[in-house]
Amino acid sequence: MEKLREEFRGWRERAAAQPERRQAFRNDVGMEIEPVYTPLHLEERGFDYVQHLGLPGEFPFTRGITPNMYRAQPPNIRVYLGYGTAVDTNQRLKKVLDWGAEEIQLAVDLPTQVGYDSDNEMAAAEVGRVGVAIDSLQDMEEVFRDVPLNTVRRVSMLGNSFGPIALSLFLALGEKQGLSPSEYVVDLQNDVLKEYIARGTQIYPVEPAMRLSADVVEYCARNGLHHWYPLTICINHINAAGAGSSAGAGFALANARCYIDELLSRNLSIDDFAHLLDMFVDERDDFFVAIANIRATRRVWAQMMRATYGARNPAALALRLTAYAHGRETLQEPINNIVRIAFATLAYYLGGVQFLYNASFDEVLSTPSEESVRVAIRTQQILAEELGFGNTVDPLGGSYYLESLTSDIQRDIMTDLNRVTDMGGSMNAIENGFFQRRLTEGAVRRQREFDSGERVSVGVNKYVSKVALPNTPFRIDWEVEKRQREALARVKAARDDQRVKETLAAVHAAADRRENVVPTVLEAVRAYATVGEICDVFRSIHGEFKNKGHF
Amino acid sequence: MERKIRVLVAKVGLDGHDVGARVVARAFRDAGMEVIYTGLRQRPEAVVEAALQEDVDVVGVSMLSGAHMVFFPRILELLREKGGEDIVVIGGGVIPIDDVEELKRIGVSELFLPGTSTDSIVDFVKARVRQATSAQC
Repeated sequence: MEKLREEFRGWRERAAAQPERRQAFRNDVGMEIEPVYTPLHLEERGFDYVQHLGLPGEFPFTRGITPNMYRAQPPNIRVYLGYGTAVDTNQRLKKVLDWGAEEIQLAVDLPTQVGYDSDNEMAAAEVGRVGVAIDSLQDMEEVFRDVPLNTVRRVSMLGNSFGPIALSLFLALGEKQGLSPSEYVVDLQNDVLKEYIARGTQIYPVEPAMRLSADVVEYCARNGLHHWYPLTICINHINAAGAGSSAGAGFALANARCYIDELLSRNLSIDDFAHLLDMFVDERDDFFVAIANIRATRRVWAQMMRATYGARNPAALALRLTAYAHGRETLQEPINNIVRIAFATLAYYLGGVQFLYNASFDEVLSTPSEESVRVAIRTQQILAEELGFGNTVDPLGGSYYLESLTSDIQRDIMTDLNRVTDMGGSMNAIENGFFQRRLTEGAVRRQREFDSGERVSVGVNKYVSKVALPNTPFRIDWEVEKRQREALARVKAARDDQRVKETLAAVHAAADRRENVVPTVLEAVRAYATVGEICDVFRSIHGEFKNKGHF
Repeated sequence: MERKIRVLVAKVGLDGHDVGARVVARAFRDAGMEVIYTGLRQRPEAVVEAALQEDVDVVGVSMLSGAHMVFFPRILELLREKGGEDIVVIGGGVIPIDDVEELKRIGVSELFLPGTSTDSIVDFVKARVRQATSAQC
């Protein structure tokens, strides 16, 4: 080490004499990157192999959550899918399963996401646009017609502001298909706190909304659904909206603490439910930061679970991760996006995520075309099977650069997590505008760097070609809204109105008593009560969140 | 003293992604304009009402959900009905080129697609409002 230290001093002087093409090299999270990393950099950070890395499948899970990772199971190939009516979506679903999709996340339209039925005035012009319209159990039956829920590894839906309804839709659909919940796996995002921070589909005030998300986890924990994924705490949207990925992880972990504290207050122990939680990681601007962020997030989680919550269940300590490979795609020359997405996919591969989807290269234009969805699936298959990426666990572990970055990012994640904890947790940080300010500052910084050319986007602010912008290759047909409203009218005409009324009254009573609403919502869903009708019950009790227009 | 340019930045429809809207709102404010941001999920009626009440020169609408061919025409129509036809309407979002041309034809002053610098949006607004003001004199 002494010899290296001496040599490094001399080298640094020689390197400093060489001109560089930039004043400083920084990543998106603002760290200045050194020209080279050595064992000295690890020593400076107090790096200790056993303490900071350990072996794969062992505390603190930096290198991965199982002993042999992708040698046993490469990341599940996940496809985010849904547009138009349930019938349109069913056709696309069957195609992607043929191509090799292993799990399906249903994209639902905005009216569904914010709890309006397709015949609501607020839904006008938005039905079936960014996803499929789900008004009732009937639409789920159509989407999954001839596709039993156990034909895929997991089925999923965003459902952030209506978690109990999303869970019930899958439970009731399983019943219709003659499956027991033990035979299939449901995964719900159900992370409502990040909606207030970054994604914007919140419906109710923060506290009752957070309790609805917790209801879903509690229901799974108490009903033996330990193989389900009732809550995915998201870094993704918080990073993209401006936080940066380290703060994104810190804020998301603060959200995790909020849900965990709520669940602990319901007479559950940490080992009853922590294994049901997973996270959605994200970094779009730097390949190495993406890998380091994943490893650091796993480490912080394991330490938090052990030190703060006293978890003992190994599954509670080992954090499962989802990632979505995308973010730098451009409208200009969209074929280039295949390259961007492939490298983002590789970063998440090297970080060791469990569930992986990648964007389609034309997604920036509109709902993806069939060809682009196929390329997305093939990208993962090529990585998994052609190029040796899954042959050994954490192949970059021990890299001087990566381990330095992982330590630095861990430090920053902890700083932001502690900052939110110190101000009383996420719900306070939402109410007092802290998150909004941090996100806008970050988004403005990124935009300035883009405007000045410091942040390069090939084909957009550098190497700009004069080719015309492409037109939308794939469009939703205007008839969708009409057909969906007609379908909803048929459902309403055919159902037992008395049963709908009674089941909705039961939901009201449960919510009013602050009980877990899942059992009553499940009854209402079975009776073909609509998403909008059930959300209206909660609106009548909790009111609606008032957006303050901070910027 | 010259009157400050007043801008209403609006999110119309149900789409909750407002990073672009907030960044542009900040850029207008940093350029010395008075900026009001509506927050999420506004109906065209509410946007037009706010624009008239706040006496703005410009309405900037952010739309990412694909419903632009419904909401832009509705906003223009309501502005005309209520005497706000002098207000400059601009927009930003993921909008196909064919639709951009159609929207400009019916009266949207300009649409800014992904990849646009905030400086060029600010410059456009300054030039257009100056033009409109001198035309009135």
